[in-house]
Amino acid sequence: MTDSFVVNRRAVVAGLGALPLATAFGRPALAQGAADVPLGMVLPFSGATGSYGPAMKQAADLVVAKVNGAGGILGGRKVKLFIEDSETSATASVAASKKLLEVNKVELVGGFWGSPEALAAKPVILAANKVQMLSCAANAVTEGDTKGLIYRLQAKSSQWGPAGAKVMEKIGAKKVTVLAQQNPFIVAMVEPFKAEMAKIGGQVMDVVMYNPDQASYRAEVEKAFGPEPDAVFVLPLLTDMVSIAKEIFRGGFTSKVVSLGTGADAEGKFLQAVGPEVAEGIYHLQPSPPIDSPSYARFVKEMGAPEGTVFLFAGNAWDQVCITVLAMEHAKTQEAAVWTKSVREVCNPPGEKVDDVVKALKMIRDGKKINFNGAGCTCDFDEKGDSINRSFYVQLIKGGKNTPVGVVS
Amino acid sequence: MIAYLITITILVCVAALVGLALNLQWGLAGLVNFGVVGFVAIGAYAAALLAPEIGWLPAMAVSAALSAAFSAGLALLAIRLEENYLAIVTIGFGEVVRLVILNEPWLTNGALGIADIPRPFAALGDAVGGDAVFLVFAVALVALAFVTLEGMARSPFGRALRAIRDDATVTSALGKNVFALRVRAFAVGGAVMGIAGALHAYYLTYIDPGQFTPIVTAYAFMAVIAGGRGSNVGLLVGAGSIMALLEGTRFLKDFITVIDGVQLSALRLGLIGVGIVLLLILRPQGLAPEPRRRTSDVLPDRTTRS
Amino acid sequence: MAVQLFFNGLVTGLLIALPALALTLIFGVLKFANFAVGSMVTLGAYAAWVANVRLGLPLSASAAIAAVTVAAAGVASDQLVFERLRERGSISLLVASMGVSLIIENVCRFAFGNASRGFDVAPSRPIRWQGIRINQEQITTAAVVLVCLVLVDALLRFSPLGRAMRAVADNASLAAVRGVERRTVARLTWALVGALLGVAGVLSGLDRAIDPLIGWNYQIPIFAAAILGGLGSPLGAIAGALVIGVAEEMSALVIPTNYRQVVSFAVILALLLFRANGLFGAKAARR
Repeated sequence: MTDSFVVNRRAVVAGLGALPLATAFGRPALAQGAADVPLGMVLPFSGATGSYGPAMKQAADLVVAKVNGAGGILGGRKVKLFIEDSETSATASVAASKKLLEVNKVELVGGFWGSPEALAAKPVILAANKVQMLSCAANAVTEGDTKGLIYRLQAKSSQWGPAGAKVMEKIGAKKVTVLAQQNPFIVAMVEPFKAEMAKIGGQVMDVVMYNPDQASYRAEVEKAFGPEPDAVFVLPLLTDMVSIAKEIFRGGFTSKVVSLGTGADAEGKFLQAVGPEVAEGIYHLQPSPPIDSPSYARFVKEMGAPEGTVFLFAGNAWDQVCITVLAMEHAKTQEAAVWTKSVREVCNPPGEKVDDVVKALKMIRDGKKINFNGAGCTCDFDEKGDSINRSFYVQLIKGGKNTPVGVVS
Repeated sequence: MIAYLITITILVCVAALVGLALNLQWGLAGLVNFGVVGFVAIGAYAAALLAPEIGWLPAMAVSAALSAAFSAGLALLAIRLEENYLAIVTIGFGEVVRLVILNEPWLTNGALGIADIPRPFAALGDAVGGDAVFLVFAVALVALAFVTLEGMARSPFGRALRAIRDDATVTSALGKNVFALRVRAFAVGGAVMGIAGALHAYYLTYIDPGQFTPIVTAYAFMAVIAGGRGSNVGLLVGAGSIMALLEGTRFLKDFITVIDGVQLSALRLGLIGVGIVLLLILRPQGLAPEPRRRTSDVLPDRTTRS
Repeated sequence: MAVQLFFNGLVTGLLIALPALALTLIFGVLKFANFAVGSMVTLGAYAAWVANVRLGLPLSASAAIAAVTVAAAGVASDQLVFERLRERGSISLLVASMGVSLIIENVCRFAFGNASRGFDVAPSRPIRWQGIRINQEQITTAAVVLVCLVLVDALLRFSPLGRAMRAVADNASLAAVRGVERRTVARLTWALVGALLGVAGVLSGLDRAIDPLIGWNYQIPIFAAAILGGLGSPLGAIAGALVIGVAEEMSALVIPTNYRQVVSFAVILALLLFRANGLFGAKAARR
C-alpha cells in the first residue's frame, strides 16, 4: 500500500508541477476561442445567515444575463456564473471555493456574506492567484497581505460603529446601552462605537451581548432596556431582530431603538415579518447605495422589489460581477492576476461617471476612461481593497414604511 | 480538479479521525457521545493558539492531551449515566465549549476567530505542492490512528470494552472494572478527536466558533452508522462515502437549475437525515460490518438494559 | 427587575412545558429520547403559519391544524421509522430520531426558505400590574398550556388510552400479555405527542419569529426540563420546565447574558451528579 501510494503521490506532484506551465501556454489560445468566462460566488443559503443568500444570487444572475444579452465580454464571450452554498460555515466555504477554483476554473470568487467564511477562504483564493470580492465587514479580511487581489464592497465594521454614534447624536441620545449579537461582523463595531460616543459626550451605560440561535431574548431585552436609557443601539441579524423587536414592543419600553439595516430592514423582510406596529419608531442605518440615481431605481425594479427598497447585499453581488467584467474588458484578459490591476482604473475617479454595466463595457471598448458607480456603492477602492467614501443611510420606520432620515458619514 | 480532490480528501481525513474516535467510544464501548464537536474544537483551538509558540507538532500533541483530559473529566462525571442521559450531558458539553470559545475573546479571539494559523509544510512549496504533502501527512495520521485503534480493538482492552457494550453486568461480574475501562475509552477517543481538531485548524489556517456546530457530530455519527458500529474499516468507507455524497451534490446544481440555493441546501441536509434513517432500518450492520461474532448478533441489543 | 425576570421565566417555562411533556411521554411509553421534538415544534409553527397567513384562518383554527399536522407526522414517523427499530434498543431509536429531526427541519426549509415569518396577529402593549408587565401573548400562552396540561392529565388518568399507556410504560411485555397492543398504544401516543408539539409550535411562533431553527433552539432547555423532572414523569416534566425557565431568565442577574444558555446544561449536570434520578421519576445511572 505504501509503495503504490508513493508512486501515486509522485505522479500527482509531477502532474501538478506541470500544471502551471500547461496553463501558462494554454491560456492565450483559450482566450482567442469563444469559451465561457467562469466566475464564482460563495453565498449563504443555509445556516444562521441563510436568509441573505437568495437576493444576492438573484442580483448576480440578473446582471450576468444582462451582460451576456448585450453580447458578453472580451470579444463576444459569455460569462458563466457558478454559485456555491457557504452553509454559513467556514469549512464548507473552503471546500466550495476549492471546487470553484479547481473544477470550474473561476477567475473571481465573490459573494462572501460572512466574515468567517471569507477569512477561511482567503488563503485558498490568494494561493490560486484569483480575485476575492467580499460583502462582509470584519476588518481582518483586508488586513495582512492581500496580494492586491481582495476587494470589499461593504463598509468595514470599524466604520459602522462611529456611524451609529453619529445617529445617536442626531436623535439627541446621550445615555445609551448596546444590545449586540456575538458575531464577527458585530463585535468589531462595539469598541469604535463606544469611542465615538465618548467623543461626542455621550455615555454607554451597558453592553449586553447575546449568542446567535437563542430560544428567547427576553432577559437580554430586559437588561438593555430596563435602566431606561435614551436609546439602545441594537446590533442584530434578521431572525433575532424579529424576536427582539416583538419583545421590545410587548415590553412597552420607551427608549429609542437604533439598529442596523442587516436586522431591522433586510431588504424589507423585517417589516414583512413583524408588521408595521412593532416596527414603528425603529431607526436603522446601512451603508448607502446610490439611492437617488436612476440606475439604482432600475436595479430595484429589475429585482422585482417595491420602489424605495434599500438593498444592502444584493447590490454588492451585482457590483462584484460588474466590476469583474469591466476590469476584464479593460485588461483585455480573463486572467485575474492581470485584470485586478484594472479594477481601480475602471472604478475610481477620475473618469466619466457611468452606472450601467453594458454602457460601461462599450465605453471601455471605445477607449474611454470611466468611473463606474454600482448599485450597492460608488465602488471606489483604496490600496487595501476597502471601499472608500462610505456614507451611511439612516432611515426611520414610520407607518409601516422606511422613511429617510438623512446620511451620516 | 486534482487540487480540489486533495482538499476533499484532507477533509475526509479529518472526518475519518473524528469517526474513528467515535467508533471507539460508541461503536466499541457503547458510550454515546453527542458532544463530539466540543472535543474537536478544544483540539483545534489548542493547536491554533500554541502552534506559533511551541511549533505545530508539539501543539498537536498538546491538543490530543488536552482533549483527552477533558474527555476523561467529563467521563469521570457522567459515564455512569444511562445512555439517554449521557447523550444530553455530552450534547450540553459541546454547547458549553462553543459558548466559551465564542464569549472569551481574551483567549480565543471570540467570534472573530483565529486567522493565520501556521500550516505545516507550507514552506515546502507552492500551494498545490504544500497541499499534497499535507495530504500525505493527513493520510499518515489516519493510518496511524487506524492501526492504533484497530490494535486496541483486538487487545484485551478492546475485548473487555466489547463485552461491556454487550453486557455490562456480566462483564462487571467477571471482575472487570467497568467504570475505569469506560473512562479510558472515552479519553482515548477524546485524544483522537483533539488530533482531528488540530489537523482541521492546520489545514484551514483559520478557525472560528461557527465551524464547530452540532452538524460535525451528526456527520461523525452518520459515518459510524454507515460503516457499521465497531468496524474501523467500515468507518473509513462510511466517512468517505458521506463526503462523496455531500460534495457530489455540489455538482448537481451546476446542471440542475430548477431549485434555488436554499432548497438545494435543505435537500442536502435532508438527504443526510434520510441516509441515517435508511441505513439504520435497512442495513443496521453497516456497509462494512464488524467482523467478529458477538452476543448481540444472537440476542437483541442489550446495551440499554442496566 | 427580579420580579419581572421571575415572571418572564414562568412564561418561558410554560413555553417549554409542552415539548418537555411530549418528550417525557415518548420516553415513558417507547423508552427512547426523541431528538426530533424540536423539529416537530418547527413543523407545528409552519403548519399554523400556512393556515393563518396563507389561508387566512384565525389563529385558534390554525393551532388545531398545526396539532393535526404534527400528530400525523408523528404517527407517520412511527410507522415509517421508529416501529421498525423498536427492538434495536434505545440508542438506535435515538440516532434515528436525529435523522428524522434533520428530515423534518429541512422539509420546512425546502418549503418555506430561511426567512423569518410571523403570524398575522395584532401585537399588543403590556398590561401593567404591581409593577410587572404582562402581555397578551403571555396570557394566551399560559391559558393554552394549562388547558393542555389538564386535558393530558385527565387523559392519562381516566381514559383507557391512559391506562394502556401506563401499562406499556411499566412493562411492555406484561401489557402485551394482558391484551394491550403495543403498536396501537405507540401510534396513539405519537398522535397525542404530535398534537402537543404542534400547539407548542404555535405558541413559540407567537413568542418569537418562525424560522427553520425555531424548535432546535429550544432543544436543550426541553431536554433539561424533562430530565430535571425525571424522564418519564409527566408532572415532573412540567415542574422541570418551570424551574428551567425561571433559572434561565433569572440567571441574567448574576451571570453575563451570553452565558445564559449554559444554565440548562449546568442544571442537568448538577442534578444528575447529585440526584441521579431527577426530581421525580426514573433512575439515570446504569447500575
